[in-house]
Amino acid sequence: MKRWLIVVGREYKTRVRKRAFIISTLLGPFLMVGLVALMVFIAMTTIESDSKVLIVDHNNIITYTLHGNDGARVPSCSECFPPRDFLEYRFTNEALTTEEFLESDYSAMLELDDGILQSAKALLKYELSVPTKVKSAIKRDLGEAIERLRVKNESSLDYETYKRLKVRVGLVTQDVVTKDQNIENKSGIGFAFSMFMFMFILIYGMHVMRGVIEEKSSRIVEVVISVIRPEALMGAKMMGIGLLGLTQIVVWSILSWILFMGFGFYAESSGLLLELMGDQSSQLAATDFITYIESDSELGVLLQVDWAMMLGWGAFFYVAGFALYSSLFAAVGAAVEQESDAQYLLIPAMLPLMFSYMVNIFIMESPDSTLAIFCSFFPFTSPITMMVRLSVGVPWWHVVISAMILVVTVYFMVKFAGKIYRTGILMYGKKPTFRELARWLMYKNR
Amino acid sequence: MIDTPSLKLSDVRKQYGNHTALGGVSFEVPQGSIFGLLGPNGAGKTTLIRMVAGITGPDSGEIDFFGNALTRDDVKHIGYLPEERGLYKNMRVGEQAMYFARLRGMSNEFAEKELRGWFERLEVDGWWDKEVADLSKGMAQKIQFIVAVLHNPKLLILDEPLSGFDPINAARIRTEINRLRDENGTTILLSTHDMSSVDELCDHVALINHGTKILDGPVASLRENARKGKIDLKFRGNLISFTAALGAGAILHSAESKGENIHEVVLGLPTSIPIEQFIKWVASEVDVLSCSPRIISMDDVFLQAVKNSEAS
Repeated sequence: MKRWLIVVGREYKTRVRKRAFIISTLLGPFLMVGLVALMVFIAMTTIESDSKVLIVDHNNIITYTLHGNDGARVPSCSECFPPRDFLEYRFTNEALTTEEFLESDYSAMLELDDGILQSAKALLKYELSVPTKVKSAIKRDLGEAIERLRVKNESSLDYETYKRLKVRVGLVTQDVVTKDQNIENKSGIGFAFSMFMFMFILIYGMHVMRGVIEEKSSRIVEVVISVIRPEALMGAKMMGIGLLGLTQIVVWSILSWILFMGFGFYAESSGLLLELMGDQSSQLAATDFITYIESDSELGVLLQVDWAMMLGWGAFFYVAGFALYSSLFAAVGAAVEQESDAQYLLIPAMLPLMFSYMVNIFIMESPDSTLAIFCSFFPFTSPITMMVRLSVGVPWWHVVISAMILVVTVYFMVKFAGKIYRTGILMYGKKPTFRELARWLMYKNR
Repeated sequence: MIDTPSLKLSDVRKQYGNHTALGGVSFEVPQGSIFGLLGPNGAGKTTLIRMVAGITGPDSGEIDFFGNALTRDDVKHIGYLPEERGLYKNMRVGEQAMYFARLRGMSNEFAEKELRGWFERLEVDGWWDKEVADLSKGMAQKIQFIVAVLHNPKLLILDEPLSGFDPINAARIRTEINRLRDENGTTILLSTHDMSSVDELCDHVALINHGTKILDGPVASLRENARKGKIDLKFRGNLISFTAALGAGAILHSAESKGENIHEVVLGLPTSIPIEQFIKWVASEVDVLSCSPRIISMDDVFLQAVKNSEAS
């Protein structure tokens, strides 16, 4: 067996069997799913203030003008839009301009076009995003109105026809200011990816640093590098620990998928799904979890994301980003004798990582801004920021160029870190200054 | 070829920035010897050992291993025990020893068989599944010693091998070092400050200071040189008539009265005059109570050589 493979094996095996790793790997997805469920629950139950929604019926399909009453519009079906304590409707056939809408006290504007009877899709415009509970109520009310209209248009009504007339309304949400449709959710998924990326690079990069310090302070490194070149030891260590991170990512992905499907199955069989969908679904004979997710304006984005693309590029940017930062952390570890001495070297090494995490919040809002494009090309930020851009769609050549820049940088970074590492692991006694570190780069190879 | 030295250093130099760690060191380590590498702190011993262990290379000069230039392939014939040593905390004893054995290129089965043998010999069997964190310092050092010698190296480099051991275990390790040389023909390069272990173990020594070698050779002849024919003599009689009897050959270094007519003197005697003949001479004048050539410890050799090199 090749020596470096033996090292990779040790680095991986001694960590993968640790209790802390096993527990966090198995419990991670449950915690995450629990957190998401909690957020959904809160979003569905709490409404801060009453919502006032303007329904714009351009083609007078579900409303008519009440004569002699200042021309106010009312719904054709009087029971369809009942007043609720958190939701109040107004009707019109002329849409407000964006300026008018922003000035008005409406929290959302629902536009119906003439295809509404067929498509059952309406556009919900908002300035501040609309609570899920309000959206569910709108869908239910609008669905009922459309169904009644369809029934009225039908000459005879048998069960087959009835089934055909049933409708589930879908809402396309749009921010009136940015005109982005659903984009916030998609980039939210990219943001989640980049958060994990940040977390994994940091956690496992620190593992590399600690491993280097352990070997250096115990002098084990001298025994090992009498057998294997120091650069190979560093690389093998990074590889073993990188694989550890990859293991956790894969297990988390699989467990999350199982949990998601398991929850779907539970929701379908226990009737929870019907409850989730409110009373509009009581008219539906059968529905499944995936269809429900698909039709939900918030959750539907889960199915719109190109998971294969996200996971594929995610794996690439994890591997490359980890190689970049962990080699830097390995060099830091080699330069010091104990972890507490590493702080002053860690700060500059971690700065771009922290920066890319923070700038992500901005990139999530405008994924095509100059800053976003720059950050997704700059190799020290690209592994994290590119994930956000990938989720909302990015020209393919942006990704390819970013990947190429990253790979070239990783190559030079690993070489550079290897030089510091090789000298540092044999130096004891004092904390090196940055100038000394620079001098180490100049030392001869052997 | 038994005459080929197991290790031959020729004008080995190493520079770290402005600091000269080694400024041209040459010596030979004979096969099957226990070779002591001596020198004060910062003399360049660690640098030299690291080069022989294959960790770093010299800037210039040559290191020959059994007649050929030292290469990376030779590491399987070299065992190395660094000075301040440790073990991985998150591995068990047996697993850890196996890891190092496999790094040295041993097969699993062979490594395990050898390990069991060593564990038994050093009375650490039963530690195989122990956590390293549970070992005492001395216990851990035994494991480290085993790890260094497990692959039966031709050259074993030991940096301060006995520091930290209690006297009983130090004696046991000393026995093992001797056994390795006698039974396996292992050459042992031993770096140490502990002169008593040099006296007890080493056949040859080299002394380096400030990156240069100031002394090397077989221990016996170094001692003989340092002794310079000094003799301790105790007699009953008159000191003045004793001095007169010395004649031209011997020099009186010091004399001390030990009560009634009894004196202890230190004499310098040229090697051309045998001690027996000398005693016959003086016996006619005084009553010789005891006479012994002065024992020079390696400590004295060491101090004297360092002093001489600093003076010059």
